[in-house]
Amino acid sequence: MQSSYHASFWIAALVGLASGSVGPFILLRKMALVGDALSHVALPGIALALLYGADPFYGVIVFLTVAALLIFWLEGKSRLPTDAIVGLLFTASLAVGILIIPNADVIESLFGAFPVLSLPFLLVILFMAAALSLLCFVLAKPLLFRIVSPDLAKVHGLGRNYDLALLLIFAMIVALGIKLVGTLLMGALTIIPAAVAKNVSGSMRGYIAGSALLGGAISLGGMWIADTHRLLPGPSIILFGVGLFLLSLVVRPKRAA
Amino acid sequence: MVESTILTVEGLSVTFDAVQVLRDVCFTVSQGEALAVIGPNGAGKSVLLRALLGLLPHEGSIRWRQGARIDYVPQRFTIERRAPITAMEFCLLKSPGFWRPPASFIGQVHDEIALMGLEKSILKKNLGELSGGQTQRLLIAWALLQQPDVLLLDEPTAGVDAGFEDTIYSLIRRVQTERGTTVLLVSHDLSVVYRYAQNVLCLNTSVVCQGPPLEVLTPKELTALYGDGGYYRHDLKVRH
Repeated sequence: MQSSYHASFWIAALVGLASGSVGPFILLRKMALVGDALSHVALPGIALALLYGADPFYGVIVFLTVAALLIFWLEGKSRLPTDAIVGLLFTASLAVGILIIPNADVIESLFGAFPVLSLPFLLVILFMAAALSLLCFVLAKPLLFRIVSPDLAKVHGLGRNYDLALLLIFAMIVALGIKLVGTLLMGALTIIPAAVAKNVSGSMRGYIAGSALLGGAISLGGMWIADTHRLLPGPSIILFGVGLFLLSLVVRPKRAA
Repeated sequence: MVESTILTVEGLSVTFDAVQVLRDVCFTVSQGEALAVIGPNGAGKSVLLRALLGLLPHEGSIRWRQGARIDYVPQRFTIERRAPITAMEFCLLKSPGFWRPPASFIGQVHDEIALMGLEKSILKKNLGELSGGQTQRLLIAWALLQQPDVLLLDEPTAGVDAGFEDTIYSLIRRVQTERGTTVLLVSHDLSVVYRYAQNVLCLNTSVVCQGPPLEVLTPKELTALYGDGGYYRHDLKVRH
């Protein structure tokens, strides 16, 4: 690889795009907090992978996939308080992760870093980010249908498997961004572009496309700030995004009440 | 199943938490018929519609004619007021293409909303900006898109101004006669039942009576269904 610097910008652009693409669906399903907690599950995955000498990415993928399946299962059990269980379980996994992760890797795991990747691995991540972004657009109609009215969607043959697809897409995108943004902040990267776009969008198609573009822009802008001021990329990206969110509150178009 | 029969229900029971909400319900619906389902609160009317749509676990058999296209107007439809989804985008959920809808589909949307007496301009508005009456008309127009064979309506005028009620029922009647659409309608309003339904199914957990309204809705049957004084006599003013 020529340098981790260029790789980081490419990852920021495409992972930001993917995060922005999936965000509107997570936000509309009122899963912002569950999604945020989901990213914490990655930490014990990273810790175990490091202990056994594997690339942390694989640990993250396995743990996030299991967590997505767990959320899906919990959602199907109306008697269980999903929010409380997800909050407890996922925070506990963060605590477990912190205890077993080697000290030298704690900060990078929590808040991200400029990733150092081999070229093939970089290409896999970039390809996956682009493919997952595209998938969000291709599946926009059924995913939205399930959110607007699960009953009407089911009458039209769209069952819970689309809810599962959304959770798995979300988990994969979180996994892709964790090296750059860190386990504590990656959930937020999926929510912030959608929250900004929601404030300024007048239609769903504009909302999804706007959120995707903003995701890429926020990641790139945050990376540039981190790079020029020698800061960690994760917090820089998130704070830049939050700044845009505050701005969007001021400039948002007036809607009928 | 006779060829003109579009729905056959036999021995349908639904149980929630060990409480039987529907018990051994049997009836058939013919193609093009308008069947009204009436009964007191908690009689299982909405549960019946949801079971027919495959939304609830049940015992017994529900057989739709093969290939019958069914659509549904739910009793309650709520969406977050600030969700940025326009009325047109809501319609596009039924389109073959969401991002690039075919012109023929857009034409259909315009036809159906015009039929329901809505202006084209509402298609650009967010769902959260529509009034209760507009939302209800849009929901019916939405259900009529792509011309379903069967339309299930759960109290379609709930929350709508009294003036709209007659209009909505007249429109549903028009669709039924012009397109041959089968209509299953849950209603609490007996005058609607007399005017718009060929058959009525009286439900109170199990079937209390069924047949043409003028034949089966006798004072004796109504008392059995609603109990003494449990229904409003003014509902019985039949306007022919």
